[in-house]
Amino acid sequence: MQVARAAPVLGLVFLLLLPVFARYNDYVLQVFTHALLLATLALAWNILGVSGSISLGHAAFFGAGAYTSALLSLDLGVSPWATIPLGGVLAAGIAAIMGLFCLRLRGAYFALATLAFVEIPKVITDNWDGLTRGSLGLVGLPGLPSLRLGSYHFDISGSLAGSYYFVLGYGLVLLLLVTLMFRSNLGLALQAIREEEIAAEAVGIQVQRYRLLSLLLSAFFTGITGACYGHLIRYIEPGLVYGLHFSAMPMIFAICGGRFTILGPALAALVLYPVDQFIFHPLLPAGHEFLYGAVIILAILFMPSGVWGQLRKGHFVSIKTGSIE
Amino acid sequence: MSLLKLEALSKKFGDHWALKEIDFSIDEGEIVGLVGPNGAGKTTLFNLIACRHRPTSGRVLFANEETTLCKPHKIQKLGISRTFQSSRPFAKMSTLDNVVVGRVFGGEFHLFAQSTDIDSARQLLELVGLAHKEQTPAGDLTLSEQRRLDLARALATQPRLLLLDEVVAGFSPVAVKQAVDLVRRVRQRGVTLFIVDHFLSLSLRVSDRLLALDHGEKVAEGRPQEVMRNREVIRAYLGTRYEDE
Repeated sequence: MQVARAAPVLGLVFLLLLPVFARYNDYVLQVFTHALLLATLALAWNILGVSGSISLGHAAFFGAGAYTSALLSLDLGVSPWATIPLGGVLAAGIAAIMGLFCLRLRGAYFALATLAFVEIPKVITDNWDGLTRGSLGLVGLPGLPSLRLGSYHFDISGSLAGSYYFVLGYGLVLLLLVTLMFRSNLGLALQAIREEEIAAEAVGIQVQRYRLLSLLLSAFFTGITGACYGHLIRYIEPGLVYGLHFSAMPMIFAICGGRFTILGPALAALVLYPVDQFIFHPLLPAGHEFLYGAVIILAILFMPSGVWGQLRKGHFVSIKTGSIE
Repeated sequence: MSLLKLEALSKKFGDHWALKEIDFSIDEGEIVGLVGPNGAGKTTLFNLIACRHRPTSGRVLFANEETTLCKPHKIQKLGISRTFQSSRPFAKMSTLDNVVVGRVFGGEFHLFAQSTDIDSARQLLELVGLAHKEQTPAGDLTLSEQRRLDLARALATQPRLLLLDEVVAGFSPVAVKQAVDLVRRVRQRGVTLFIVDHFLSLSLRVSDRLLALDHGEKVAEGRPQEVMRNREVIRAYLGTRYEDE
């Protein structure tokens, strides 16, 4: 379909030029920076989602990544560029523990177990005052240092446009990685597991091993996103980074956009969050989030494969059979 | 030399013996039919060989190696593949991708590499007559197409022994005839076949030997004509009135 081919390219051009269109308006830039952040979360969430598991617990990884990087950079004075990957590693470590308990479950049982699991790192962070300063949160996180390429300085934390382009760049890198992953043999295995676990096992796929691997990868990138978030906002507290927002949003975007596609989850984040903030928030300041409830019901009832999945007409992530995304 | 050897294989579900002391062996290159009425234990026997279930007692040997307690993905690596009684396609993946999955994970692969061996998957679709449907999502295929896809996917893993569970159930006479040709072509590729076939429409025509089960016990084995004349087999299929007369 023409739309399906043109939309990603137009979308990218739009995102690249957005700060110029918006005349560097603070509010617009903040909204789209957060939308991009949610888009990366949705991409990361879908690394697990493509295997058929629905997680309601990704805030555990987001929060763990944010706290790990924040504490290491605040207390030890290490550069955020070194601590952000460590945030991803700790998030993956927590995912390994979660996997131990939850991966034997399927469907709604898995989702509910992950929802409950978030409370474990949250309660620990909330109460281990000596290490995490508890519910007071952390303030004054170091911003992301400028990147230097020869004589060129890319100032990330100095301006909102800098933060915006940083998240956009990170999102594009993650999109590339996810695309390669989904088109690799691992992606093939995860889809097969989602469609027919018993048949997948019968053709030689080690189902539990790959489910765990997809959970670890998904958690790793969610942790990195959480760590970046902390250094961009420069303030975190347990209720914020372990909040339902960061668990539910990626799932909502993935389901609305299309869980069986690469781009769908990210596109949904980039459309729905700005619509929510620019249109529904002014109209209904107290209840604007009903939008998410409404779209998810509509998607499940009328477009179970998501809007992007529907546009692609059954062309899901496919390795060599013509179409990708 | 026997490729598959079953020694006193038994399986109990609760208080019910699904299989009782089955001794049997299959030689390399043979086509063996597994026949018996509903509940005879045919699928249970397949599930034991394919390591989906563990036997209550007894042993399974494949190529002289004990495989009784293998994991399902491991038994595939040793050379046993199967199709399912109700076919289990990867519904949202394309027909071609379904076969590619078998090709990739049945052999050596790098997890993060992209599979390049698409041609052999296409050849298998050709073999089962689905080449023209390679882009179709597998869930959109008809029942008989899905069964053939199951077969192509199982063949893609390059098995030495292929377990076919009810491949022709519900097929029209024409489709059954095509399946007969297909099974013969599969044998020519050097694959040993063990076929479950409730209505005998396939196994009577292609099998070198039959194994007949009833209520979990072996009632007969041997050449198809002999087995079909066996009193126990006839009674199992048609009831006891034969003996009253």
